Amino acid sequence: MDFLLQGFLNLTWQQVAMWAIGGILIYLAIKKDMEPALLLPMGFGAILVNLPLSPVIGDPANGEHLGIITSLFKVGIEASEAMPLLLFIGIGCMIDFGPLLTNPKLFILGGAAQLGIFVTIILAAMIGFPLNDAASIGIIGAADGPTAILVAQQLMSKYLGPIMVVAYSYMALVPIVQPAVIKMCTTKKERLIRMKYNAKQIPQLMRILFPIIVTIISGLIAPDSLSLVGMLMFGNLLRECGALKSLSETAQTTFSNIITLLLGITIAFQMQAEAFIKLETIIIMGLGLFAFVFDTIGGVMCAKLLNLFSKEKINPMLGAAGISAFPMASRVVAKMGTKEDPSNHLLMHAVGANVSGQIASAIVGGLIIGILGPFCGL
Amino acid sequence: MLNFITLLAAFDNLTPMNWEVIAPALNFLWQGLLAIFVVIGLIIVAVKLTAFVIAKCDEMKKRREEAANETENEQGNS
Repeated sequence: MDFLLQGFLNLTWQQVAMWAIGGILIYLAIKKDMEPALLLPMGFGAILVNLPLSPVIGDPANGEHLGIITSLFKVGIEASEAMPLLLFIGIGCMIDFGPLLTNPKLFILGGAAQLGIFVTIILAAMIGFPLNDAASIGIIGAADGPTAILVAQQLMSKYLGPIMVVAYSYMALVPIVQPAVIKMCTTKKERLIRMKYNAKQIPQLMRILFPIIVTIISGLIAPDSLSLVGMLMFGNLLRECGALKSLSETAQTTFSNIITLLLGITIAFQMQAEAFIKLETIIIMGLGLFAFVFDTIGGVMCAKLLNLFSKEKINPMLGAAGISAFPMASRVVAKMGTKEDPSNHLLMHAVGANVSGQIASAIVGGLIIGILGPFCGL
Repeated sequence: MLNFITLLAAFDNLTPMNWEVIAPALNFLWQGLLAIFVVIGLIIVAVKLTAFVIAKCDEMKKRREEAANETENEQGNS
């Protein structure tokens, strides 16, 4: 009768702790509506891979059958980072760069809101993480799950699991974290600044050329960002060309949903108790929060700096929308704007800054891989 | 702050305040920020330039059409 007890005999307290973490993720997804498409599969996956002798994570290298989660991880993430990259096609299809093209100056805010990534890399290095892990932790500040996965995977970070979990769960915390930081960095008068929105029609040719221009420039200066930026811009070209409406709709809905679903459950491969239950995971959570806070500060301060030199003032809150969490960051800023002054509508400006953050974070991801690669022996 | 970092690191074999790791990390700060702003600057310039060229082309097209219309009208009148 021993075979009936094998599961219980092999159970560890770390695995039980992972069930609890899985349960929390499922709770957040269902009850709090926090990134449910990702947190629910991740939460269930955390339970699935932490059952004793779970065949879903079987590895032929250990004399076991190839498990489905291992297989998905090896093909979809480890071999070529296909899943996060393919997800970028869907994201590109969903993004309207019109508000950014109306006011290209907002692009600067997207760049400045990446400050937290670099500051966090320094802090993680000070704490004692090796350079590749420090950079992978810093990229949590990109507020962009696929970029975080790609960088951590390419730099061969051993903290891929915690990084993915923290990146996705913190994206959902944007509405809680950002308002406090924005209020800390701005005065009431600054938050009341009004901005004119010149809703000019962007020619279709411009919309078509934009993804091509961005791809070429990023490819020339930051070639390592090409896989991310290229997929994002390809998706956007599908959307804007007007000739592939059904493909664009599929990429925005069915395709994105399938990839998201598979990505969520595949990420769970990295949530095996022995790799996840470590003190470093808690430190990574703290550093992820630090990165988010400094990204927001970077964006807000940059907007304030721009105001010193420009005639038309920018509402500094827009700087916070420069992080890549789309569309949460722009919603947060728009909501704060109307809260301060119900007739001050900042949404379109915030969307402009937000989509610029999406491009900037993908470029920064590539830059980090490019700059750090040689240091990490890649 | 440093004591806190050392305390945290002592738990799990991290090597805090290792200058060999911190020095390159400090370099990445300026290298990374410079690179991102260069890329962004170039994209802004390219976007403005493209928008300018497209606007000019549209303007010229309009003028050509207007001129063609005027000529047609003049021919019609004569």
